[in-house]
Amino acid sequence: MNVLVPSIAFGLISASVLAIASVGFTLQFAVTNVLNLAYSSVMIAAAFVAYAVNRHGVTIWVAALAAAATGAILSLFLNRVVYTPFQRRKASPIAIVIVALGMTLIIEYGTQAIAGPTNVSYSMSQGSTLAIGSFRLTVAQLAIICMSIVLMLGVHVLIRFTRLGKAMRATAANRDLARNSGIRTDRVVNATWIVSGALCGLAGAVFGMDAGTFGATSTDLFLVLILAAVFLGGPGEPYGAMLGAVVIGLGTEVSAAFIVSDYKDVIAFVVLLAMLAVRPNGLLGAKA
Amino acid sequence: MQSRDGLKKRRAHRSLGFAGVLLVVVAASVAVSATGSAAVRTGVGNSLTIADVAPFTGVDAALGPTYLVACDAASNAIDKAGGVDGNQLNCKSVDTRGDPADAVPAVRQLYATTSNLTMVIGLTSDEAAAVVPLINGNKTVAFGMTGQAEFDHIHYPYFYRLVPADLAESYAMVAISHFMKHYKRVALAFGNDIGSQTFVGPAKSAVAKAHEKLVADETLDLKATTFRTEAAKIIAAHPDVILTEALGPAEAAFLSEVKQQNGGKAIPIIGTSATISPDWYKSVSAAVGASTLSQGFLADNLVVDTQGAAYKAFKQAIFAEKGKVGNTGSFSTYLTAPGAVHLYDGINLAALAMVASKSTQPSVYKGYLSKVASGKVVVHSFAQGVAQLKQGHTISYVGPGGPTKFNNYNESNGIFQVDSYTSTGKVKVVANIPNQWMAAVR
Amino acid sequence: MVYYITTLLVYAGVDAIACLALSQQFGVSGVTNFGFIIFQAAGAYAAAVLSLPADSANGAFQTYVGGWHLQFPLPWIGATIAGGLLALPFSALVGKRLRGDFAAVGLLVTAVMANLLITNYRPFLNGDAGLALVPAPLDNHFNPLSANYQWGYSAAAVVLAFVVYRFLTRVTESPYGRTLRAMREDDVVADSVGKNVRSLRTSMLVLGGAIAGLSGGMLVGFINLWDPAAWGYAESIVLFAAVIIGGLGNHKGAILGAVLVPVGFLEASRYLPEVGRPGLVPALQWVAVGLVIVLFLWFRPQGIIPERRRLIAVHASPDDAPALAPAPPPAPVRALRPRSKEREVALEARGIVRSFDGVRAVDGVSVAFERGRLTGLIGPNGAGKSTFLAMLAGTLEPTEGSIFYDGEEITRLPAYRRARRGLVRTFQLASEFKRLTVLENLLSAVPNQRGDSLYGALLGRRYWGSDEQAAIARSEAMLDRFGLTAHADTYAGDLSGGQRRLVEIMRALMAEPQVLLLDEPMAGVHPELAHRIGNLLRELCDEGITIVMVEHELAIMDEFADPVVVMAEGRVLAQGAMSELRAKEDVVEAYLVG
Repeated sequence: MNVLVPSIAFGLISASVLAIASVGFTLQFAVTNVLNLAYSSVMIAAAFVAYAVNRHGVTIWVAALAAAATGAILSLFLNRVVYTPFQRRKASPIAIVIVALGMTLIIEYGTQAIAGPTNVSYSMSQGSTLAIGSFRLTVAQLAIICMSIVLMLGVHVLIRFTRLGKAMRATAANRDLARNSGIRTDRVVNATWIVSGALCGLAGAVFGMDAGTFGATSTDLFLVLILAAVFLGGPGEPYGAMLGAVVIGLGTEVSAAFIVSDYKDVIAFVVLLAMLAVRPNGLLGAKA
Repeated sequence: MQSRDGLKKRRAHRSLGFAGVLLVVVAASVAVSATGSAAVRTGVGNSLTIADVAPFTGVDAALGPTYLVACDAASNAIDKAGGVDGNQLNCKSVDTRGDPADAVPAVRQLYATTSNLTMVIGLTSDEAAAVVPLINGNKTVAFGMTGQAEFDHIHYPYFYRLVPADLAESYAMVAISHFMKHYKRVALAFGNDIGSQTFVGPAKSAVAKAHEKLVADETLDLKATTFRTEAAKIIAAHPDVILTEALGPAEAAFLSEVKQQNGGKAIPIIGTSATISPDWYKSVSAAVGASTLSQGFLADNLVVDTQGAAYKAFKQAIFAEKGKVGNTGSFSTYLTAPGAVHLYDGINLAALAMVASKSTQPSVYKGYLSKVASGKVVVHSFAQGVAQLKQGHTISYVGPGGPTKFNNYNESNGIFQVDSYTSTGKVKVVANIPNQWMAAVR
Repeated sequence: MVYYITTLLVYAGVDAIACLALSQQFGVSGVTNFGFIIFQAAGAYAAAVLSLPADSANGAFQTYVGGWHLQFPLPWIGATIAGGLLALPFSALVGKRLRGDFAAVGLLVTAVMANLLITNYRPFLNGDAGLALVPAPLDNHFNPLSANYQWGYSAAAVVLAFVVYRFLTRVTESPYGRTLRAMREDDVVADSVGKNVRSLRTSMLVLGGAIAGLSGGMLVGFINLWDPAAWGYAESIVLFAAVIIGGLGNHKGAILGAVLVPVGFLEASRYLPEVGRPGLVPALQWVAVGLVIVLFLWFRPQGIIPERRRLIAVHASPDDAPALAPAPPPAPVRALRPRSKEREVALEARGIVRSFDGVRAVDGVSVAFERGRLTGLIGPNGAGKSTFLAMLAGTLEPTEGSIFYDGEEITRLPAYRRARRGLVRTFQLASEFKRLTVLENLLSAVPNQRGDSLYGALLGRRYWGSDEQAAIARSEAMLDRFGLTAHADTYAGDLSGGQRRLVEIMRALMAEPQVLLLDEPMAGVHPELAHRIGNLLRELCDEGITIVMVEHELAIMDEFADPVVVMAEGRVLAQGAMSELRAKEDVVEAYLVG
């Protein structure tokens, strides 16, 4: 049996999870100029909240909303209480990255302290396996892909057609100019972190669904994939993040079909380093 | 502006000041280390300490507590029977964090803060290679759980291995697949950590000797969260059985993907003895379903007596600990977890040796370890053994782990049995593995 | 007990060495190497494979490269070399053009992935199992488990830590160290005063990497085992926390941090009673580390032992002289071209174009700047003046066109090389080195200093002392001339806006420029002071220096600049004396409001 074709299907699933996560990450960078390395820890915290809700008998598809809410609240908190004060003090970008790493430790291990070190699973049924040609996907996996597409469309509509979206783009391009043009940039930033935080939370729930079992440290490696997707498309470019997610998601899974599967995540790493060395603003960003 | 000399003097003063501060800080750390020692329970009369040196945090965090349960069970039963010549036994946990750079200071701290250390148990492959030389050098008897190849032919007089080398488990698994189930096509799926990778080489050679066909060999990265492609590769090879061990969330993720991609049908699995554990069952059954595990799963395990007097005593001791440890699923799985059974036996052996040699010094009582396992009267618990020794008989302790026989290298060779899970997660012994089978694939 | 003390001492020594290396890279030079731990790991692995025999006991159960069974001290030397060599490929990530936080993230990801690769590729370094039975140094002469050996090891660790401390202090307390700190403060500005930032960063990566490698070699010789679990993501963060808490930029702080965090905090947590469920205390421990990092960065970013202010012994000067006394400066090292009757062209731009995403900010500008003149450059906002200046200086590359300096084409020459040749710029926004004193700011720009190289720094004060003294003398005179002698030891960032401007100009002058490019030097400066600066600039022109000055203050242009170039919409509109320009209609329309 050919392993290539199914691996494309796997790649789509990976890409779906990655897309939701990467778009949120890149939006945060766009409006605040901060690489929020604590993103993956917020994801897993939200995943655990969804697990807690799920345990009480609520289906995971509804519990995911709890995850979204958690993500939104935590992300807003991160920006307002942690990053913005440091930025007001004119802390260097490096200092902010270190702060982000510190927050990662707090959130990730705080989650572990509360939830315990053992791994948990959502109680959900995968549904039957659909075979479309050589593609094999369960109903749940198909739902994840659909959810991701819907969310991407939603982001597209938000950015292109709503006032908030226009304000976000203006703020991202030039914050001072936006403020001087009458845009309430502080509100826009808060709104962006809420929206991207919700995406982060959803990404966490979807990650948990996809992984089957997860623990507080499961998203450590996932952050690398997010960074690879974001930098491939260009930091701050939402469409770039979507593109990056597809490339990385497909690339890792398809390559695993050919090379030894141990190294599939290394593809993401190589892409990331290559982009940083050659074109740090990404494929869709301005040439440096 | 300062003159050059003034500057030099100030610098010198500052250096001295700094050195002074540093000295105070170092002295304080040392002082704290020397005096602090939080986790030892003290009993009436003299107490002897047994240290459980194993991971309590990190990837293998389940192991340390498992061994601790066995330690508590054994020592409490011994204390109830009067202790070792009136001395009470206490268990102390030493967290190696699953990493040798942390294990070494942990063991050193143990020695610095414990004056009455009489034996060490635990010692998994995460840290054994780094700390066994230290423990041996300190002349402490140690019972270790690691099957790794380093220790196969090494002389550490104070280090005893209660499990056979990992090789033997690989042979046992292949023996099960060939002689018991008559499978032809074998796939291997082992985690990429030390403990799991040691099975791969011997398994391959055993497969060849058994004239089975090795159709796939996938290594599972324990840090990854999905294994779709690995599962696909294995399914594509059409194996009859998958031999596996991958601890942590990996096993559950992998097996569920195999099942899902195989159209909902699970492929038969044979696991190592590490798969007979409460944690493993909990996470894998949640992922593939309890019924799958009860139908298509077998594991090799060292023989554990589940019927006789030894088992009764063991069960009683273990269940006395119920409620005192955290929740890891069904408590009764401790009854068959390899660490629990064999370490319990090891502690009993050591305690009996101490009584027989009338000494709690490891250098003295260790000579009696084989003596109390090869005497005339068969006993199944510490209490029985002490009673017999008082009457001047020689004893042979046979615990739930079967008779113990140490070879030249202080390894106990084991007899294997075949385990499976019932639909409620209890462990069931399905068959024994006769020596001919093992010999055929060795 | 003894063994525990010796263990703590060895770990303290090893961690101190690692933290010192990190302090040198991060605290002093501003190179944020989140992948730091892999250099220590490289050293440990190197020492291991060098000292292991070809076929370690028990029938080759572990596979690895090397295995030459070398004796001490070769494995430790090998460890140091391995750490240094590994740093070379990373220099691609620390070139000037990559944002600091991007580079840092790249390095972090590299560390994570290196761990993954080594874990999964068994034949190289035995994968996840790592390398065991690594021989302890000198184990054929001594028994490694004896108390004497342990004490000997501890002594070696402490002594080596001290040696590394002295070595790095020597590097940091030198003109080279000052250059590193300047680079940390602002790498673009350091570039503009002639510092080759990329080469400096690479050197620090290699130096730090080598020292980290040594620490790894020492550690593996002690615990005789090394595997991927020993150098994860967490270990790197702990070292950063140690350096931040101990004190950034201060080597003593690094040692204190090493004793407090990896040794003190992590060891102390072993004593905590086991409350709650298993695993609660270790998880809380990490939460505490994260909390400490964030709180320290907020409340005390300089750490417990902050970087100290460098007070350079300056010969007492007479009372603060009145501002801008026209005293002749001492003879500069670089001889200026003698003035000739004929004005020659010092700097020329031909057809310079710069476009950003299709927008042409500078659209075909050709200007020749005559030597010894103060040429003004004016124009409305968005005319492209600063962009043009940046291209002259080398901070930006032109999309088209060429630039000539003293007749030679320098279009592709990087900024720092131009600065070394005498083409020096200042910046529109405040760009003094904030945490260097005023005197240090000046000293940092002095070219051709013997102490301004790693080699020179290592040779010590005896080697570079006289150059330094000469530079100090020049600086003092400069301070005197500008009336800032009283502030010689003040951190430049603490001065008022006008004073900071002066520091920048002084610093530019210390670089012995032949051509000075000034970007709005009077912006935000008190008119009286601006006037004084203008006079000074005129004096400099009389002495032979060519000046190009971008300014908005037309009064300044009127008084001091001749000729003046007017730019609008990326092109040159007109050139000539101010009086002429005021008469031209198109110029008036484009810009002049009166």
